[in-house]
Amino acid sequence: MSSLRSKSAQDISDLLDEYGIKHGPVVDSTRSLYERKLKEAMAKGKKGKASPDKTYYREEEEEVTYEYRTPVRSDGAGDSGSYMRSRPEWSEREFEHETSYSSYLRSKPEYRGKDFVDEPAMYDTPSTYRHSYLNSTPMKSQDAPKAPKSSRLIPLWVQFAFFLAVAVFLYLVFSNMETNESLKGIE
Amino acid sequence: MSSTSQKHRDFVAEPMGEKPVMALAGIGEVLGRRLEEKGFDKAYVVLGQFLVLKKDEELFRDWLKDTCGANVKQQGDCFGCLKDWCDAFL
Repeated sequence: MSSLRSKSAQDISDLLDEYGIKHGPVVDSTRSLYERKLKEAMAKGKKGKASPDKTYYREEEEEVTYEYRTPVRSDGAGDSGSYMRSRPEWSEREFEHETSYSSYLRSKPEYRGKDFVDEPAMYDTPSTYRHSYLNSTPMKSQDAPKAPKSSRLIPLWVQFAFFLAVAVFLYLVFSNMETNESLKGIE
Repeated sequence: MSSTSQKHRDFVAEPMGEKPVMALAGIGEVLGRRLEEKGFDKAYVVLGQFLVLKKDEELFRDWLKDTCGANVKQQGDCFGCLKDWCDAFL
């Protein structure tokens, strides 16, 4: 690759036209920009456009989701297979969650961006759970080799403890609301 | 304009005259200093560069990124600011 620096402005201009790069006059202030563009174009041209268009999954929860579900989905071979296997495990949680937490969790969208997305996705509706589950499924193969470590801002047990604490609290509030009547209906 | 900042509106409202480069939308203190170090100490010098790049968005964005390390948003803000200014006054 001959040095672009030594080329005349006209040469640079011609090279830019060759590579089909739209450009203005090659003056002092634009020269380095055009040299860089030509360098990139040449590199691309030789390799036959091997553009590293990695789709970075910036959402950490995708990785975390798999980290958490690894014990459940040890195989991960077929989508439907593992999906049905882990479903009864989560259905229990869903049951107690849907009773009192759907409204609570809906008001906490901030967790979605962190590790907590596991739980809210299930609390809302079974269909939402299914959706997020399938969403994360195709990415598993790509995420598993990528970054196996899961960085949790809040440890999972803390989240569960907090969740249960709020559940108990809400139950107490609800059960204490009707002091005049008997508590039969609540049971 | 869907959402322009106050800085953008202020800049586009009048001829830029001798306004410093930090008056441009998207160019704050850090980027402004970097541009000044490279010789682009006034808004009109950046305008000059914008025009030499034929008001092309991609070229200007690339140039801005190379020269002062502007991120995508800053590039877009600055480009939009200059473009609107040119539409109004050039």
